[in-house]
Amino acid sequence: MSAITITIDGRPVEVQPGESVLAAARKLAIDIPTLCHLEKCGPLNTCQVCLVKVTANGQSRLVPSCGTIATSGLVVESDTGDVHEARRTALELLFSDHVGDCLSPCHRLCPLLLNIPVMIRQIEAGHTDEAIKTVCETLPLPSVLGRICHHPCEQGCRRGNWDSPAAIRDMERFVAGQNRAAPVPRTVFRKPDTDKMIAIVGAGPAGLAAAFYLARNGHNVTVFDRQSAPGGTLRNVAETELPAAELNADIASLSRMGIEFKPDHELGARMTMDGLRREYQAVLLAVGENEKTAAEKLGVVLNGAAIKTDPNNCRTNLPDVFATGSAVKPVKQIVRAMSEGRAAAECVHQFLSGLPVHRPEKPFSSIMGRIEPGELRLFLRSASASASATPCDRCRGLDRQEAVTESARCLHCDCRSSGNCLLQHYAQVYGAEASRFKSERRTFEQQLQPGGVIFEPGKCILCGICVKLAEMAREPLGLTFVGRGFDVRVAAPFNRQINDGLRSVAAECVHHCPTGALAFPDTPPRTGGVS
Amino acid sequence: MPEIDLTVVSSAVARLGRKPEAVIPILQALQDGYGWLPGEALQRVCEMTEITPAAITGAATFYDMFRHKPRGKHLVQVCRGTACHVAGAEHVEDAFRRGLSISPDRDTDLAGEFTIETAACLGCCTLAPVVRIDGATLGHTTAEMVPTIISDYPARQTATQGAASTEEMRDAGKAGAVEINVGLGSCCIAKGSDQIFHALLENVARCGANVTVKRVGCVGMCHRTPMVEVALPNRPGAFFSDLTPAQAGALVRGLFPARGFWRRAADMWASALDRLLVDGVAPRQQLKRYSMSRRDPAVRAFLDKQLHIATEHYGRLDPLDLDEYLAHDGFTALRQCLPFGEANTPPTLSCEQIISTIEQSGLRGRGGAGFPSGQKWRLVSRQPGEVKYVICNGDEGDPGAFMDRMILESFPFRVIEGLAIAAIAVGAREGIFYIRHEYPLAVKRVRAAIAELERRGWLGVRLLDAGSPLKLSVVEGAGAFVCGEETALIASVEGRRGMPRLRPPFPAESGLWGEPTLINNVETLALVPWIMRHGAGKFAAIGTAQSKGTKVFALAGKIRRGGLIEVPMGTTLREIIEEIGGGVPEGRRLKAVQIGGPSGGCVPARLAETPVDYESLRSVGAIMGSGGLVVLDDSACMVDLARYFLRFTQDQSCGKCTFCRIGTKRMLDILERLCAGKAQPAQLDELKHLARQVGAGSLCGLGKTAPNPVLSTLAYFPEEYEAHLKGRCPAGKCTALIKYSVTSDCNGCTICAQRCPVHAIPLTPYVRHEINLDLCTRCDTCRKVCPRDAITIT
Repeated sequence: MSAITITIDGRPVEVQPGESVLAAARKLAIDIPTLCHLEKCGPLNTCQVCLVKVTANGQSRLVPSCGTIATSGLVVESDTGDVHEARRTALELLFSDHVGDCLSPCHRLCPLLLNIPVMIRQIEAGHTDEAIKTVCETLPLPSVLGRICHHPCEQGCRRGNWDSPAAIRDMERFVAGQNRAAPVPRTVFRKPDTDKMIAIVGAGPAGLAAAFYLARNGHNVTVFDRQSAPGGTLRNVAETELPAAELNADIASLSRMGIEFKPDHELGARMTMDGLRREYQAVLLAVGENEKTAAEKLGVVLNGAAIKTDPNNCRTNLPDVFATGSAVKPVKQIVRAMSEGRAAAECVHQFLSGLPVHRPEKPFSSIMGRIEPGELRLFLRSASASASATPCDRCRGLDRQEAVTESARCLHCDCRSSGNCLLQHYAQVYGAEASRFKSERRTFEQQLQPGGVIFEPGKCILCGICVKLAEMAREPLGLTFVGRGFDVRVAAPFNRQINDGLRSVAAECVHHCPTGALAFPDTPPRTGGVS
Repeated sequence: MPEIDLTVVSSAVARLGRKPEAVIPILQALQDGYGWLPGEALQRVCEMTEITPAAITGAATFYDMFRHKPRGKHLVQVCRGTACHVAGAEHVEDAFRRGLSISPDRDTDLAGEFTIETAACLGCCTLAPVVRIDGATLGHTTAEMVPTIISDYPARQTATQGAASTEEMRDAGKAGAVEINVGLGSCCIAKGSDQIFHALLENVARCGANVTVKRVGCVGMCHRTPMVEVALPNRPGAFFSDLTPAQAGALVRGLFPARGFWRRAADMWASALDRLLVDGVAPRQQLKRYSMSRRDPAVRAFLDKQLHIATEHYGRLDPLDLDEYLAHDGFTALRQCLPFGEANTPPTLSCEQIISTIEQSGLRGRGGAGFPSGQKWRLVSRQPGEVKYVICNGDEGDPGAFMDRMILESFPFRVIEGLAIAAIAVGAREGIFYIRHEYPLAVKRVRAAIAELERRGWLGVRLLDAGSPLKLSVVEGAGAFVCGEETALIASVEGRRGMPRLRPPFPAESGLWGEPTLINNVETLALVPWIMRHGAGKFAAIGTAQSKGTKVFALAGKIRRGGLIEVPMGTTLREIIEEIGGGVPEGRRLKAVQIGGPSGGCVPARLAETPVDYESLRSVGAIMGSGGLVVLDDSACMVDLARYFLRFTQDQSCGKCTFCRIGTKRMLDILERLCAGKAQPAQLDELKHLARQVGAGSLCGLGKTAPNPVLSTLAYFPEEYEAHLKGRCPAGKCTALIKYSVTSDCNGCTICAQRCPVHAIPLTPYVRHEINLDLCTRCDTCRKVCPRDAITIT
């Protein structure tokens, strides 16, 4: 039979008879989201996120592209408002019945989004180098934060519902200390040079953080400060809380990244705004809280003593001048000031890259919310029962053994598949809101057999891939859908465990599970994105 | 737990085979044997057959009829169909639970005597609310009657074996000149017509009169059952309704005391009846109550607008009397399509001619969507290949619809004939009747009709002794609304979970076992013989431009004359409700009519002039559906009704696609909040958004049409949704939003206090009663029984 031509988003494409619209779209490199699609299983048509619009006889309708066979002359649209809305709704509906957190509360609550669960797993496994990488690639001033961070992470820690939260900050401090003690401390990875010059005025927490994130992106950053040593308000912290040596070490690390520090420069005197704008492609004001008189010298539109910015993109009235930190709005916590610096850095980076400028959004995460005591016990099964490790010497912090002991207390309540989950990935792509549809939450359940797969039915989206793979492999017990309507679940027959139904195809099922419903317990932390 | 008897498994497997597709019949046999499905038995099935553990678990948990825990000795099924819902089925269920001490989280009493279940729809909508106890159906049940039903149950048990025995009593009392026809459809049996049938037979035998007492199918006038027609040659028949067995006996004795009946009947008809039927009550008055003729205005109004094609000879034919069917032109249409004589003379009509006749007749599928039947037949006939199937879709799952049940129960030979013609036209040699298990009598009669044809050698090798072979079988559904969808139905026949798949390919190309399959609804097939006999033109002359012929409707709900009616397409809703149905009960106001069940919509009273045809109904937000027509009066809450349908679709969704599985649930969440007065205004927009998305994004018809009840009530009754947002239920139906109180008209007669099932009204004689609202369940009993209308709902 001869090839068929169909049109997708106005582009013709040739396919073989029997091929699906999805296959045709992929030939055109059009990204149609799929969750339940796996070539060898044939169309399962369960998730309905691969919807496209087809028009026939003057009537348009939405059809799943994976199961719709291309017929000659078919006109398909994959990129319209209603198609996107339907896909987003499908994702939001799936999340409304999704029991699990993509990101653990500690990770989500960290203003700098440190991947705490991964760090803890690395400590627990004794992979200190990897833990150093995790911490130092994310935190601008790890030694400082390891001592004086307000640690919102620990306030959200689920272990706190049982005895006391995992001592996350102490573990951070341990990792930072290990880096400092190394013969050659780690240098943060820097993207290739961009030749863009950025001036940051103010070397307080916000300015330093912005410098870190901009330098990481390959920009050439110069930090001006009126004081003789960088650090801003960090220099006011008592020596017992934050020894100056720690701060200096972190600043030295920033210098190693190529950030240039110019102390004793005050805006308005030797250095003018016009001058900076001539010399640098962008200027970021992180001058901290101002006196009214000091503020007047800044050369931007003010709001009282504060610099007036567009809250959506950190921009001042001058197109190439941005402002952040307490100069815009008083920020009490150091980590939040740094988070502001991070947001401003992202805006400056977008500006310099010619992209639309907006503050970074919070990473997407499904949120399970408060957990019941029964659910907590399921998480506790895989954690150490010991009480929080107290450092033998508060000033020194945790030693290696203590850090490992403490790390074992983590409940690992993050999702094993976070970062590798199609549902999470497409939620981000389509701007889905995980809590759009309010509903009573299902109870968190977990099937855990030693050496077998972990099954968390609350995360299952009933794509049917594992059921089909088990059937195709002629598993003696296999898996099936159980029940009907909203209550359908995937289960092994005769009330057996999922693991019993997957003798030969467990690995394949875990690999193809589009969410974190099926996972192996010893899965190493995955850092790569979704392919 | 005592060990289970595994011989049930081995005998089921021996009888039903070891193939994967035997799974549902085997499960049904186990359920019959054990009353539930013990896990041990299921594992044994897997050991003995090709059925896999995954397949048996999947099927056993998909269908409603299968239980996974032991059942009590007796099973009480409370129907939750639309008509029953608006008639207060919830209160009936509550009353049974109270009476049997079964708490809401359980389904069986502690002693293991009674199990209570709800049924999606038992299809006896004119008798709403309906309860079925151990297979015996009780109509017009009220919460008040429940304690008596429970206490009388053991006695009743012995008296209600009629359905089975009546079916077995073939050829009894044949060949008389006068016929007494007893309607023996499920509804009639529910109202006791089988006992009347036996009483009549007994009395006829005793007096030796030349009279045939005949079991006939549905008479249509379900509101008057049990019903008996005395049919005299060359004279209009006389109907006797609401009879008791004792009165039926008296009727025979009165009509046929001796010879000279005709004279006596002509002169003394009325007086004889009066004397014999009635004890001590003014005779004339009583006669009117029991007898009516076709000239009776009410009967005429009910019948005059009707046109009987699918239900031709309704109320006159013994459903299982093949000779009688033949005498009424039965199988003449089929014979035209078959070669005849020793020489196999070619048939009068070729396959092409059959199909073009159906095409020209304008017949469209009566199952709901209205796809042109001829086109469907042609599609299947054009498919290459030797193996094709024809399936009669008798999975009438819409709550509020019972047309297909009535047709199958009353005219099994007609449906078989229609299916046989279809099979010849498309070249199929195997026909399957897929009938839902909630219709045991329909299953029984179709099976009996097939057996009768087989007995005469008219099936199997040579159809009607001529032409190609045709094999017929019956597949019983196991309780799943979604199996009315063609691809789900096929999955179910193949022994899988009834989950629809994406079309195309349509079943016409790839259906049962991947072969071309024609699926037609019961009513569609019942129309075929008439069309073939009378020609396409005659059928096409009836109805409207695009909707030809007639449509059978199940008329139920808040209506005076409910029943099974057949009217020409284009008849208006007003004609059906006001003229045929006699309008809503005295003192009530017509509010809307629900058409098409969970996929349909509510047409408001102001659009009552809408003609019933596919396009007009669609334009007002409803659909023809299979033809359930539930009339709603001002006591119906439209938000509650929308919630009712969403509960239904949410439960009946196969759970496959995201939009239907979760979307309908989220819509229901919002409706539940509305009915509880806890919804936020923004959620109304959310509901509309979801309704649009679920309609657009669902995989099959069930999900695509599930939002219709919400969308149509939102469009026509927005003020009711607004009122619920403010915590008010204007119809006084949503129990969370209403309060009962006693007005100053109360004289303390204590009737309400005595009848209150939860003792929420203290017994205070001669003192104005008070209602304890914490105890009150809002069952409405007090308001109904108050002789002074002193109880109000606020």
